[in-house]
Amino acid sequence: MGTFVQLVVDGLSAGSVYAAIALAIVLVHSATGLINFAQGGMAVLSVYIAWWLTTRGVPLIVALLVSIVFSIVFGALVERFLMRRFERGDPDTAVVVTIGLLTLITGVAGWLWTYNNQQFPSLFSLDTVSFLGVSVSQRSLGTTAVIVVVMVALQALFIGTKLGLALRAVANNPESAAFSGLPVGRLLMVGWGLAAALGAVAGALVAPQLTLTPGMLDNALVYALAAVILGGLTSPVGVVVAAWLIGVLENLAAVYVPFIGYDLKVAVPFILIFVVLLVRPQGLFGRKTVVRV
Amino acid sequence: MARAVDVPAPSLRQRPWVRRAAPLLLVVLLAVLPLVLPESTNETLARIGVFAVAVLGLNVVMGYTGQVSLGQIFFLGLGAYITGYGVQQDWNVVLVFLLACLGAALAGLVVALAAARLGGLAIAMVTIALPIVGVPLAKRLSDYTGGSQGLSARFADAPEATGLYDDQWQLYVVLVIGGIVFLLTRSLVRGKFGRAFAIVKGNEAVAASMGISPYRYKVLAFTIASLIGGVSGFLYMFVIQYTSPETMSFGHSIELVAAMVIGGAGSIVGSLLGGAYYVLVPELTNQVDSSLTALLQGVVLLAVLFVLPGGLASLVRRLGRGRRRLRAEPGPGASPTTPLSTAGSATATEEPGTERRGHA
Repeated sequence: MGTFVQLVVDGLSAGSVYAAIALAIVLVHSATGLINFAQGGMAVLSVYIAWWLTTRGVPLIVALLVSIVFSIVFGALVERFLMRRFERGDPDTAVVVTIGLLTLITGVAGWLWTYNNQQFPSLFSLDTVSFLGVSVSQRSLGTTAVIVVVMVALQALFIGTKLGLALRAVANNPESAAFSGLPVGRLLMVGWGLAAALGAVAGALVAPQLTLTPGMLDNALVYALAAVILGGLTSPVGVVVAAWLIGVLENLAAVYVPFIGYDLKVAVPFILIFVVLLVRPQGLFGRKTVVRV
Repeated sequence: MARAVDVPAPSLRQRPWVRRAAPLLLVVLLAVLPLVLPESTNETLARIGVFAVAVLGLNVVMGYTGQVSLGQIFFLGLGAYITGYGVQQDWNVVLVFLLACLGAALAGLVVALAAARLGGLAIAMVTIALPIVGVPLAKRLSDYTGGSQGLSARFADAPEATGLYDDQWQLYVVLVIGGIVFLLTRSLVRGKFGRAFAIVKGNEAVAASMGISPYRYKVLAFTIASLIGGVSGFLYMFVIQYTSPETMSFGHSIELVAAMVIGGAGSIVGSLLGGAYYVLVPELTNQVDSSLTALLQGVVLLAVLFVLPGGLASLVRRLGRGRRRLRAEPGPGASPTTPLSTAGSATATEEPGTERRGHA
């Protein structure tokens, strides 16, 4: 029973990281209609910034804040100077652009900081706490808590503020938004910046566990994409639930299904996708999109 | 003399005798070249052929049908593993070839049946998992794949009767099999299916209204792409004679997509150029600084997307139109022979023995 609870909590913590990246992908998709395959890569870059600052003696929390600010600026710049040109065009070309960006960022990180694993300091201690008779690690609890707080804050921003309203308007219909005087271009930059910041938080939380390498979040990106497919691109809540489901199921499968084990647990979300796709092609929570000719 | 209205540039190549003589000339050229070129060039050309076929497969699903696939390298790896296993079990080579094609096609069909159900970019989002699942899977099935150490199979020695060196024999086999695949694919994309693919790429709603099921054609295109991937896997094993889980790593998968876009999406010549890019550019960048390879790949890919969206193939086309002097049809065998004197050792390849083997 103790193992089971520990596995579930660890799964929720891993799932929270996937959820954050998946939410970033959904955020970008709803604003610009494309899937950013470089979302993980951009997060890795800002984690490297934080890591580099900590090796220069900057306190961890300051380094993290600086890296988050960096990623907001970086995300906005990427939108303005790279993606803007491809946004309303062929979505397949735009996808290849994000793949080019992923290659480029991986290349830059590998060139500046080598491909060797680097130790990234953890925000939370590795000690376990006893909770209702079972012990769970503080890091898992902390990771989950931070990401839940960030997600709630983001939801509040979208629902409760004028900026959020404007962002939703641009996502919903850029032409009408522009007609009503909203600065569409700048709002898209804000959207990309927020998405990048979300990714950066997730990256910083998971980095101590995975150790920092340029390809650190490649697997997490795959999980996030799986969560996006399962949850449906139109449903942020669905994506978060799907990401937690994936995190918990893969952890359980790794231990309780002998053939899967730790090395093949990355296949779990895709087995899940196969099953779901055969039953509900629009995702667990997504709406069926109707195309107007 | 200008044959039809849709011909953009009625030039020398529209003349009947040129049209008939050019392919013949090309075949003769390709038949002679392996005999006169040095060993290292032959080996490089054979590797270019292998990856040109892989890029061609990717082009069928991505360039012609407009479905982004990030998993093509998985089918190359699958084909290579099936080939390696079959050769180790001493199966007939023809049977091994067929199994490599069918195995990859079947895997592609299963993936496509599920992935194509979701519209838009779902194929990209699902296929990205193929290399990421494929690598640990290959390590796990170590009874068949040799685990992390990989699998080697030597079955590409030149038959005694031919009197050829091994590298010449390998290049001939790649040229023949690759040539056939290129010709068949060219017919496919220019015929009925190619038009259906183009409509699915252009507008799925229009396709559906014309009685062309986008779902079926996406599945078909993906399956054909996987089949061609299987062929390239067989050729990979034939030329490189060794495969490991690293062959189908995520990085290589991305490089293959980059090679396709840089060569030219939706272009037969572009596939050849893409194969050449995949093999030659890492060799060049490795000579400069191997830690810069990924960075340069990204820069080149983004630069091509910005400046030359049609890839290198469109550059070739533009130059040809500008000069009005196309010597031959840039058909399925226009070999981008860049005589490199560098002994190649890049992109997941193992150097076969340094001594030239064979029966000459």
